[in-house]
Amino acid sequence: MINEQIYRRFNHTVAACFVIYFLFPEYILGIQREYTILLFWIFIVAVDYLRLNKDLKVLGMRNYENNRIAGFVWFATGTCLILGLYELNLVPQSLAIATIIMAAFTDPLIGEANQKFGDKWGIGLGLLCSFLIYQLIIGVLFYSIIGSIIAVASERPKIKWFDDDLAMQLIPILVLTLLSLIDFSPNLPQEILGGDL
Amino acid sequence: MKITRIYIYLMYIIVIFSIIMFISEEHYIIASLLFLGNMIPGYAMATSLMEKNGN
Repeated sequence: MINEQIYRRFNHTVAACFVIYFLFPEYILGIQREYTILLFWIFIVAVDYLRLNKDLKVLGMRNYENNRIAGFVWFATGTCLILGLYELNLVPQSLAIATIIMAAFTDPLIGEANQKFGDKWGIGLGLLCSFLIYQLIIGVLFYSIIGSIIAVASERPKIKWFDDDLAMQLIPILVLTLLSLIDFSPNLPQEILGGDL
Repeated sequence: MKITRIYIYLMYIIVIFSIIMFISEEHYIIASLLFLGNMIPGYAMATSLMEKNGN
């Protein structure tokens, strides 16, 4: 048997590869790249619809997900929203990339640390991981510190209708984007990737 | 189960492809993050797959 917990964690970390979207050309097979976000999201929702209503077997589901929206839908929704907001010029590319990678790696790390060492380690390692990712990609301490605190705080509440997979992406990126618009805030690098595949 | 295994192999391909693309575009920090973040779960997943083969 495939270890379902490892499978779930690997699925989560692989989601960081969504950032390859920023290297895509403007048109993919004749379709404007923005529409690929929508198509991908519809595909993910369809898979979960079939899981919930047509008994499609999906490996790695937790027991509490049997009758509610799966974590992968929440994560994909968060990522697709970020990519959509980027295309609408509402969030900077640097924050979009950092937040997607941060959420993909920090959430499973917190989960593992909570399970193996306890909640305090979960919070500590979560803060460290998210801080390092923000700092390496954005390179501005102000945003890295605030972003990491907000990301870990967003992971804590367990709310049925607003999963942490979505919260860990949307809340930090919205707060950091709003902060970057305030006069006293340090400059935020906007575009860090420019090339096309 | 076969579809799951194909999906897992696909995930490895996606990770490797993404890392190569970011390296080729000289975005070494992002490539390194993708590698480091997927290394441990990827290794654990491979071990889990091999255990299944062994059985």
